[in-house]
Amino acid sequence: MPSGQIFNIQRFSVHDGPGARTTVFFKGCNLRCLWCHNPESFSPKPDLEFNPQKCIGCGTCFRVCPQNAHTLDASGRHTIDRTQCQHCLVCADQCYAGALKAVGQTVDTDYVMKQILSDKDYYDRSGGGATFSGGECMLQLEFLESLLLSCREASVSTAVDTAGNVPFESFERILPLTDLFLFDVKAADPVRHKELTGVSNERILSNLHRLRDAGARIIIRSPLIPSRNGDQIEGIARILRDIRPELVELLPFHKLGSSKYAALDLPDPCLDEAIPDKDTVDRVLQILRSAGLNARKS
Amino acid sequence: MRTLDTSPVRLSPLYKERIDRLHTDKLKMNDIKMKVFDHLNFDDWGFVYFPDFKFTPEPNGPDGLVYGYRAIGKNFRRYLCEIPQYIHPASALGGAWIGQLTDFCRIGLPPEDDIDPETRACWAKYHTYPGFGGMNHCAGDINIGLSLGWGGILKKLRYYRELNAPADPAFYDGEEDLVLGIQTWVKGIADHARALAAGSASDEERANLLDIADMNDWLVENPPRTFREACQFLAHFQSVDRMYYVGGALDQLDEKLRPYYERDTEAGILTDEMAVWCIASLFFNDTHYSQIAGLTPDGSRDMTSRMSFIVLDAMHAIRIPVNIAVRVSDKLNETLLRRSLEYTIADGTGVDYSCNIGIEQGYMRNGYPEGLARQRIKVGCNWCCVCGHEYPLQDVTRANMGFALYWALQDIRKEPDKSTERLFELFKKHTQIIVDSIKRGYDRHYEVMGKDRPEIVYNLLMYGPVERGLNCSEGGVDILNFNIDGVALATVADSFAAIEQRIEREHRLTWEELFEALDANYEGYEPVRLMLKNINRFGSPDSLAEPWALRIRDFFVYACKHEGTPKHHLMIIPGLFSHGAIGEYGSRLPATPNGRKNYEPISHSNEPDPGFANGLNTFSPTLKASAVAIAQPGFGNSAPLHLDIDSEMLDKEGGIEALMALIHTHNHQGGTLINLNCLTKETLLEAHEDPSTHPDLLVRVTGYSAFFASLSKDYRQQIVDRFLSRESQS
Repeated sequence: MPSGQIFNIQRFSVHDGPGARTTVFFKGCNLRCLWCHNPESFSPKPDLEFNPQKCIGCGTCFRVCPQNAHTLDASGRHTIDRTQCQHCLVCADQCYAGALKAVGQTVDTDYVMKQILSDKDYYDRSGGGATFSGGECMLQLEFLESLLLSCREASVSTAVDTAGNVPFESFERILPLTDLFLFDVKAADPVRHKELTGVSNERILSNLHRLRDAGARIIIRSPLIPSRNGDQIEGIARILRDIRPELVELLPFHKLGSSKYAALDLPDPCLDEAIPDKDTVDRVLQILRSAGLNARKS
Repeated sequence: MRTLDTSPVRLSPLYKERIDRLHTDKLKMNDIKMKVFDHLNFDDWGFVYFPDFKFTPEPNGPDGLVYGYRAIGKNFRRYLCEIPQYIHPASALGGAWIGQLTDFCRIGLPPEDDIDPETRACWAKYHTYPGFGGMNHCAGDINIGLSLGWGGILKKLRYYRELNAPADPAFYDGEEDLVLGIQTWVKGIADHARALAAGSASDEERANLLDIADMNDWLVENPPRTFREACQFLAHFQSVDRMYYVGGALDQLDEKLRPYYERDTEAGILTDEMAVWCIASLFFNDTHYSQIAGLTPDGSRDMTSRMSFIVLDAMHAIRIPVNIAVRVSDKLNETLLRRSLEYTIADGTGVDYSCNIGIEQGYMRNGYPEGLARQRIKVGCNWCCVCGHEYPLQDVTRANMGFALYWALQDIRKEPDKSTERLFELFKKHTQIIVDSIKRGYDRHYEVMGKDRPEIVYNLLMYGPVERGLNCSEGGVDILNFNIDGVALATVADSFAAIEQRIEREHRLTWEELFEALDANYEGYEPVRLMLKNINRFGSPDSLAEPWALRIRDFFVYACKHEGTPKHHLMIIPGLFSHGAIGEYGSRLPATPNGRKNYEPISHSNEPDPGFANGLNTFSPTLKASAVAIAQPGFGNSAPLHLDIDSEMLDKEGGIEALMALIHTHNHQGGTLINLNCLTKETLLEAHEDPSTHPDLLVRVTGYSAFFASLSKDYRQQIVDRFLSRESQS
């Protein structure tokens, strides 16, 4: 049975497609968006999060770590030498305080389907279903395909939330099994896109056009981080005017991911980024609507 | 058939200003109460505080004790004649209650009618709230009052006194004294309104006060003729009801007022905004519990009417604690459901949702027909009743299963072979002891309550007590049910699961180490405490605690249900409801194996503990709802689901539809009651830190709503914990 690496299952999600949904977050991503609020999704392997405020100083992690990666620095502060850590996660298993936490787990299709089907009554009454998100769920194609097929067999509506940076052959495999694509468009200019996400957008936009041509149902999701991609909105509007998606959802930047960067000892590129105010969001929505797009804030 | 008008009522400046004044003055009155009482953990109760009022009772028993129909009726009548009058000039209705009779008068049972000392000792050992001596938690049919009026009720009492000619007419003496007292009090309202009118400088206010005077003059002897008079009669009833053991049940409000509304609007003497003002005034008067919507007895249609929308609009307009339940069914008017949710999102809280499938099919499992079960409506904090026909004594017992676990642990530590299975056998033994002791108490309750502490108010609005001369608890009404509520379900289930996982499966801990940690209240054993606490708790997918929760629920239900009370064979209906007092119920319970320290709160009703979601599965309302639905006691008494939802989550298209789906699905999964708050984290934390910053923040604590600022810090913490548990993953 196919299995995959996921890091979260969120039920009763009302932000990832229509109705009440269960969103399954896949681990691993081939973009590095500067504003990403799920940095735990970057790596395809399990990660170790450390939340020092939960640490009770029991010292177990120092004793059980085979790499001696847990150390005290000169000021007596518990630190993790990430270069030594082999991600065995023994320390997290023994950390009952929850200060050390393994993020990511290998699960099979049956396990995920059991969680998804638990809320089927809610989907049926609200027009919801299951959303596969991430990370980039299309990087674990067999697992995704297996889940989509199982959902179809169980009459659960599905959505695939993707940044689109995969070969179009991958889309072709799941296209017949997917009811809706939540497709990210983050910047219009290829150079700016690479600066902001680590990759160019040429393949992404090509995939988007081909998906449209294949008759896929598409909702576009565009993040708004004014100092980063604020200059891209007109360009995005021009691209989308051609695509004619049924809906464009604007995702204003928020800071819910900041603590996760700290827990993973990763630098937060948007630590000082401001949350866009209502006027800014409304102005951007107006730009999108002026292009004839059905746009709203997520 | 006319199309149902579902539009929101538009208030003209006159009525908006009147209702706004009621809202503002309620906040002021609440502020005064908080300065005096510090907190009120139940709900606002609507009473008007008169600090200088004193009442001297005339006891008939030792040490100032008042008991029996005659003495209670006599003292209650005197009390009604002496209490100060209150009328808010912007209200459509006159009268208020100023405190309970029992604040001044020790009404109780004479020593010879008490329970035996052995049973009392058992209750003390297990910290049991036995229900023996429990009051109110039953409900009248307000149609009896609306059709007869106070004068008609008096005539009815006198008719049946003569017809029955009882050897001891104490029942009729006491009830008659009460009604005569009410009539004097109602006349006093009329006189007070006239006196206020004479001193009023405002033409509009004077006219209103004179209307109140005329209404109350009429209602001394006669039944109400108009919608406003019907509301005034209900204000009389709910005030008097509160004065006696804070009774709080008000029946199916929309359907009982509908005939008056339709007649008056047809006659052109009532507009929708006047109706909203009258209902808002009724809410200002008191927070009695009532239901709107629900299936007709034959199940053919939902009872939603224009009155149902008017009740919602009144609640939304006055924005004070109000206790209205919408009865959910597949036939529920979806516009009413949507409107109720819109108001909840706007106001923070609003109605709660009584689920017809769990309530009705559960009640039928006791042997009652479906048509009757549909009439069992929500008129209490968590509880339902066939109004006027049933004595359903609920919400007065607490069988603390945490103590059954505690004593089981004390037993097993002396035994050589320890296992969770053996512990469960011992737990069952102690649970049965608790349940049996409560049943003995109910036998005694049945024997003595009628003669010592009767339901002197509710008897007047029930079918049978006046006709038979019997208190409703002893055969006055046809249906007698006695409820036993178990508490600490998740505390106990998580404890069993923690032992199973950490000791039996993983061998990370021994029984001896567990007892050492418990004995030390986990002092010096924090890693052990966290090891036990941070398992997949009840509510999490794949939790070992869920099978334990179901086994515990099943045994508790069996212990209650497999036989009635030992002496009189009274019917027991099991429940799992803790009210909001989980701090109190934990206050004597030593540390438990779920990582809970000495005397910390226990879990709520049959809900998972806050922070239960773990690992891959983030907290979600449906995760909690599924756990609550699966662990229902199953015989028609409510075990509520509390949902505190971030209003920002719903601030998008489809948010309300998702909530509607959640409510209907919970109904179909067998849930019984949903209590809903829609708040933001910022507002809640600010109000918790300094309640004065949000004096008008309304929350639903459990089945009742309250000003958040009125709650004690412990109660406020409960709401905060529930809300923040969405974020806590460990």
